[in-house]
Amino acid sequence: MTDQVSNEITTHEINSHEITSHEITMVEAVTLALAHEMRRDPDVVILGEDVGPNGGVFRATQGLYEEFGFKRVMDTPLAETLISGMTIGMAGYGLRPVAEIQFMGFIYACMEHLVSHASRLRNRTRGRISCPLVIRAPFGGGIHAPEHHSESTEALFAHVPGLRVVIPSSPQRAYGLLLAAIRNDDPVLFLEPKRVYRIERQTVVDNGQALPLDTCFTLRQGSDMTLVSWGASIRETLIAAELLSEQGVECEVLDLASIKPFDFKTILKSVKHTGRCCIVHEACRSFGVGAEIAAGLAEHALLDLKAPVKRVTGFDTVMPYFKNEHYYLPSEQDIVTECLSLMKF
Amino acid sequence: MKYFKLPDLGEGLSEAEIVEWHVKEGEHVEEDQLLVSVETAKAIVDLPSPVSGKVVACFGEFGDVLHIGDPLVEYDSPSEDTGTVVGEIPESTPASPPTDKKSSKRKKQASEDSSKTSSAGTNDQFIIGSAHASSRSNSMGQSKATPSVRALARRLNVDIDSVRGSGPEGRVLAQDVESSARVDQERGQGEQLRGVRRTMAKTMTASHQQVVPVTIFDVADVHKWEEGEDTTIRLAKAIAKACKKEPALNVWFDGEHMTRRLCSQVDLAIAVDTEQGLFVPVLRDINNRSLKDLRKGLDRLRQDVKSRTIPPSEMLGATITLSNFGTMAGRFATPVVVPPTVAIVGAGKMHEDVVVHKGSAEIRRVMPISLTFDHRAVTGGEAARFLEIILESLSKRQVK
Repeated sequence: MTDQVSNEITTHEINSHEITSHEITMVEAVTLALAHEMRRDPDVVILGEDVGPNGGVFRATQGLYEEFGFKRVMDTPLAETLISGMTIGMAGYGLRPVAEIQFMGFIYACMEHLVSHASRLRNRTRGRISCPLVIRAPFGGGIHAPEHHSESTEALFAHVPGLRVVIPSSPQRAYGLLLAAIRNDDPVLFLEPKRVYRIERQTVVDNGQALPLDTCFTLRQGSDMTLVSWGASIRETLIAAELLSEQGVECEVLDLASIKPFDFKTILKSVKHTGRCCIVHEACRSFGVGAEIAAGLAEHALLDLKAPVKRVTGFDTVMPYFKNEHYYLPSEQDIVTECLSLMKF
Repeated sequence: MKYFKLPDLGEGLSEAEIVEWHVKEGEHVEEDQLLVSVETAKAIVDLPSPVSGKVVACFGEFGDVLHIGDPLVEYDSPSEDTGTVVGEIPESTPASPPTDKKSSKRKKQASEDSSKTSSAGTNDQFIIGSAHASSRSNSMGQSKATPSVRALARRLNVDIDSVRGSGPEGRVLAQDVESSARVDQERGQGEQLRGVRRTMAKTMTASHQQVVPVTIFDVADVHKWEEGEDTTIRLAKAIAKACKKEPALNVWFDGEHMTRRLCSQVDLAIAVDTEQGLFVPVLRDINNRSLKDLRKGLDRLRQDVKSRTIPPSEMLGATITLSNFGTMAGRFATPVVVPPTVAIVGAGKMHEDVVVHKGSAEIRRVMPISLTFDHRAVTGGEAARFLEIILESLSKRQVK
């Protein structure tokens, strides 16, 4: 597999800026990307609850208040509608705000703003005003949190025309995709899978290189099965691919990353190659993003499919509490079982 | 550890009063070093530090009453500050499959390898976009059909790959499957060719695609032959003699590379008709063998073919072919040249005919001979001379 991201473990000078390399977790990669972009572009501002001196409840904005001051890193009151309203106003007037909604479970108060205004600003003004905002929100379950802290409702936002939804799955991709989201002129919902915030360290070079949006990432190549997933589920998907490999089934693993719009071409190419597809997402099954991918494959890959397109997902309920979470979350064994049945179809 | 909290002092006690601090803020402490003395209802207890580290803050002063779980000392360990007011974010467990014999061996290997590189970070390998250059489907060579048509084919017991598709881009439609099934029903299911029949179909097709055949017809005068003469042996001997004089018909020809291989030995393939189909065993080196030896060889070949014990090697490597179809019926024919050979002799039915012999009409025994040659490799002259020698040899009463 080609490593498309440079990863030198040396530091060197370019102009007056040192390009450094860091062994960091995903949440630290978010901080790194925010810091980089705030240094590069004075229009980038941050707002949210506890993002200032506290550095964010997940420490995602740690150190930014100290470096950039209270005018660029703003603590807001506990009012999500205020956050989204301010963000849209700032974006409309030329700033590049990166707002934090502390948990995705609190974002629904913002929906009116996001759906009726942020996503439509360009359309409504016939192109005169854009809304280049980013709303960051930790999402997903598996961290033993109470209700409203484990949501995976990316499908709700993916359904809204004019909104982008981006979900990283690794520190390197979090860095590159967040940079892309901030630089993009569209409103972007950047959902961070908190279950894997600190689960692994990767080498991330702080070179300001953004990854492309609207593109899948091929994490593993194979010719028997295409596995499509995103966010924290990528972890289980990769483990399942290894387990399946031991049983002679070689999986191709695609990280969707850009949920909306998504790169259907890559998925189609892969399915034409393998003939089988299994989509894995933590979000509940019905009307989820997986259904959209499956419909696309039925439409464009019918003659190439050797088996129906299946989805391994969470259940159609709210994330259960604590120790029952592992029943809800799609496990690597769930994925393996489904894939093996597809191989036998 | 970030905070050292007042531990459970036992004996059902839930509070303690600070009596004396032994460390100051900013001081570095070692593990087990005395931090503070507290007084409970029962006794004065010395509390040692559970870890080594720098003391950032001391909570409580002389006389303050603390409860179990209240923080006493804050250490300086910034990596511990992971935030979150709710929930537990799991940390730094490497993603690895459940342990079994195989994967534990691999993990051991991996941990040995990783000792060479940084243990803290890994590099994420990924491709931006697709790993495949083209959008071409992988099912090349297979029939294109929708799943429902495939299911229909399975139900009607039709081999979908053998159905000709009338849909767009050769796609097999339901009606194609149904008409194929109808044909199967009315005329019986198509029998898959196997064994010698399959070989014959393939060989003849290849010949038709490559060879440029020309056939010369003539009649041999076999009137002098004695009763019970072995036709096949006579023909073999005649062919052997002709090959000696005209070696151009005993060659292997490669039309693709334009090469011609003159064969020193004459290995005659003899077409034998059996119940299973056409066998063509090879009688080796007919030039140098005696009549008796040839007879024995031929009898053995016939026996092996009959009992179906003939090994495949016995049917390879012929340099020229003989088809004695005249044992049954037929006079002249256009027998098929089998590449890479360039000639085949067809012997028709021996019969009595009215011929002109030495000026007058006589009834004599004759045998029609057809010689097909591959005109890519053999000239008409070579072929005609070859045929002349055969006729001359056959006309004799005996050969040695």
